Amino acid sequence: MAASKQMNLAGVYGHGMDEAVAEVFSLMMGIRCASVADRPADEAETISSLIGLAGAMSGTCVLRCDVQAARRIAEALTGLEFQSLDDTVKDAMGEVGNMVTGAWKGRYPELASNCMLSTPTVVTGSNYQLHTQRPELRIERYYRFEAYSFSFSVVCESRQ
Amino acid sequence: MTEISALIVDDSSVMRKIVERALRQAGVEFAKVFEASNGVEALDVLREHPVELILSDINMPSMDGLEFLRQMRAQHLAPDVPVVMITTESSQDHVREAIATGARGYIRKPFTAEQVKDRILPLLNS
Repeated sequence: MAASKQMNLAGVYGHGMDEAVAEVFSLMMGIRCASVADRPADEAETISSLIGLAGAMSGTCVLRCDVQAARRIAEALTGLEFQSLDDTVKDAMGEVGNMVTGAWKGRYPELASNCMLSTPTVVTGSNYQLHTQRPELRIERYYRFEAYSFSFSVVCESRQ
Repeated sequence: MTEISALIVDDSSVMRKIVERALRQAGVEFAKVFEASNGVEALDVLREHPVELILSDINMPSMDGLEFLRQMRAQHLAPDVPVVMITTESSQDHVREAIATGARGYIRKPFTAEQVKDRILPLLNS
């Protein structure tokens, strides 16, 4: 019964994640972005935008991609070109993670008013993993735009 | 439309530029655009420079947008200048709190240039 409820919740929240990603990419970047079944290939260097959740849901939302996808996202958002993973690219990734998380939680009345977001934390590096102690629920979805892919995850530690 | 001076407050420099670009697309012409990355910096700008429009994020370090608005009113800085909040926070509680604190408008990120135009231009023309 509990497992069935978790699956339902994963389906409901997963659908909202797809809509939030599509909305942010379409409105802010003019890019069509769709969910895909395949996990992005493991790349040596990746960048993660982390947004903390507190209140009705405690946890973290993570938008993660490789360097090439991050540069393309920053280019689409700013209209500038980037040769490296500089501070503007990291800032853009933080903002995209922030907007996707806000657009996602805003779709659910139980979260919209009662779940606060942290300012973004951006992590870059090679072969790192993000760990959460015994998450109550973890939903990871994969997305593709143009020739690039990324993942967006909701890691829920607890719900009130 | 005459040129205006505006203050854009957001902890993301990328978002400050996007907001400025959206305003220019909406037809706003600037004499000067001031930027601040939090409420403390924004108050400092207002002590030194007159502006005709303020756009502020809510969720920022050091001093968030709602506290900035409260401090601005308490210190009688730019008392008649319209303030519009631009934020990922979409809850009605946040909207009500922002309006109660003196904001004249509220735009949720992500936004379209049309939304910016519809919410900002009437404030500049009134």
